[in-house]
Amino acid sequence: MIRLECDKRFRELIDRSFVEEVSEGERQVIHDHIRDCDGCKRYVELSARTIRGLREFTFTSEPDSNAQVREILADHAGTMRQHNVQFRIWAAFAVALSMSFVGSALVYQVTKRLAVPMHFDTAQVQAGVLVFWLLPSFCSALCLFAAPRENRGIA
Amino acid sequence: MTLNTTAETETAKIARGLREGDMQLVADLVERCQHRLVRYLLYLTGRREYAEDLAQETWVRVLQRGSQYNGRQRFDPWLFAIARNLAIDYLRKKRKGVQTASSPNDRDAMLLLPSSGPSPFEAAARSKDAIRLAGQLQILSPLYREALLLRFQEDLSLSEIAQVLGAPVTTVTSRIYRGLAALRSAFEEGGDSPGV
Repeated sequence: MIRLECDKRFRELIDRSFVEEVSEGERQVIHDHIRDCDGCKRYVELSARTIRGLREFTFTSEPDSNAQVREILADHAGTMRQHNVQFRIWAAFAVALSMSFVGSALVYQVTKRLAVPMHFDTAQVQAGVLVFWLLPSFCSALCLFAAPRENRGIA
Repeated sequence: MTLNTTAETETAKIARGLREGDMQLVADLVERCQHRLVRYLLYLTGRREYAEDLAQETWVRVLQRGSQYNGRQRFDPWLFAIARNLAIDYLRKKRKGVQTASSPNDRDAMLLLPSSGPSPFEAAARSKDAIRLAGQLQILSPLYREALLLRFQEDLSLSEIAQVLGAPVTTVTSRIYRGLAALRSAFEEGGDSPGV
């Protein structure tokens, strides 16, 4: 016979004892209570049986499931590596290009200062920087795309 | 103390391996967790074919986003959280007729839509009690089902389950209690002789 006056309080405590940690004192309270209360005792038994039942399901995987997953992952890792290399090439090209322009600007400034004592005019300085600095460095940046992957030095 | 140190080392090792794209480590993780991942997704979706597809997709995501795993928590809850998000998105795409929304509660609602097809739980039941529970599990809300699985089969702590679900611990406990209450009724209604 379930004693209604104790029902809710003890049921909550019993639930808690199955789901989370309860103190030794609380465990003792439950133990003492269910000795005299058939309703709560049955509640404890049914809860324990339900949890035990939940552990009695065995799901079998497809036999080659793990191998399939590993195969898919290997393919995917290859694709990721390829994308990674392409990204690095573009990033390296962007860096090389910006360095090429910044470097050229700096060289132009320095050369302009040196041009006065050396009696060069501005057009000669500009042509010199273009031919001997900007174009070679721009071509070097472009070489990143032309070189075979193993020679790019960035992969 | 030793156990804690071992666990920390293990998660740190996994985090480093994932960051470096260590395929051997990923293969080991697949070997160790694939079965449990499929089981979790089965509980979540109630459909075998969804579970297998989603498990594969989850591993691909692990490979892509491995660097986001910080190694401070256990790997399993992180894995299940990825699987859960993918399952919700997958079900959203499958069931286009349903209104979509992005708040956590609305995302959970995607799991509440009824699933058709044969019950995977009946096929997996290995005792009379489990067979009894299988019927209840099939009609039980997936939100309760996943909370029960994570607590009683995966043995995750309440805070780890909260991490997987992206919900407060109080919500987690409430779902577990309600799920247990619903399953207990399987024994209350139809006799109570325990079967093996």
